[in-house]
Amino acid sequence: MDISIQFKKGALELCVLVLIHERDRYGYELAQSVSEHIEVAEGALYPLLRRLVNEGYCTTYLQESTGGPPRKYYKLTSTGETHMKTLVTEWKQFVYSVSRLIERGPLL
Amino acid sequence: MKKHEFLTQLSAQLSQLPPEERLELLEDYEAHFAFGRQNGKSEEEIVSELGDPHELAKEALGERFITQEPVYWYHDSSKGQPHSAAPAQRRGRGMTAQVFILIGMFFANIVLGPLMIAFWAVVISIMAAALAGIVSPALLALDMVFHSVSPAKWFASIFMVGFGILLGVGSKGLLKGALLTTRKYLSWNYHLAKGDA
Repeated sequence: MDISIQFKKGALELCVLVLIHERDRYGYELAQSVSEHIEVAEGALYPLLRRLVNEGYCTTYLQESTGGPPRKYYKLTSTGETHMKTLVTEWKQFVYSVSRLIERGPLL
Repeated sequence: MKKHEFLTQLSAQLSQLPPEERLELLEDYEAHFAFGRQNGKSEEEIVSELGDPHELAKEALGERFITQEPVYWYHDSSKGQPHSAAPAQRRGRGMTAQVFILIGMFFANIVLGPLMIAFWAVVISIMAAALAGIVSPALLALDMVFHSVSPAKWFASIFMVGFGILLGVGSKGLLKGALLTTRKYLSWNYHLAKGDA
């Protein structure tokens, strides 16, 4: 398994939470927005979204769309927001630490 | 690969999931196809963007175990039997830890102990004041034996009886609080020292 795929998957939850935090979004829209930033198997989004709902970080509601199936919108709960903020902090700390370690080394 | 093929493969891989969960997930993918088609993408394009159904199924099945086990991203479903919660066994703490905890408790109690005593002193003094108020006529009568007493003192003493009763009633709650705090404080000490706090 390509290691960079693992990285992207690890970041996917964070990206999704941040995108839903910006505004409520539906699955396909999320897939598009995520793909704009990172290249990832879009299908992985749906199991992830289910998990977020199961864990109480998101709620869903349906909205009719013209000429298509109803859109299932995802909305961040307050627990979800807290979770997102924790993840963002951890992410920043992690990236900072790893970058520092890399830049210290003789590789670059 | 076309939409139908993708969904069939995925559906087959997801057969372990409860039916309603599987259907819901498949509906999500179905909707994804519909929106993709609306945006002018071909079914093949959408399938390639979605990724390998086998990998996706693995993800969907793995998710249910994440809450029970710290699995990173992949979960080998063969390992995934929900562990029956074994009764947590309490191990006694090590000798060193015990010594340090006792030292810590010693210093904490140097401050907390006198604090408790001071608290009790306040409670007892209030109750003593209440008692003194209530028995003040008797004390005044005693006083009368040795000195002459002005009538004003009698009025003051009657007032003190009422005041003492009120103070006594009020201090009942205070006494209860003091007892409760002391009991908690002692049991905290006990459990901390024993190591099952």
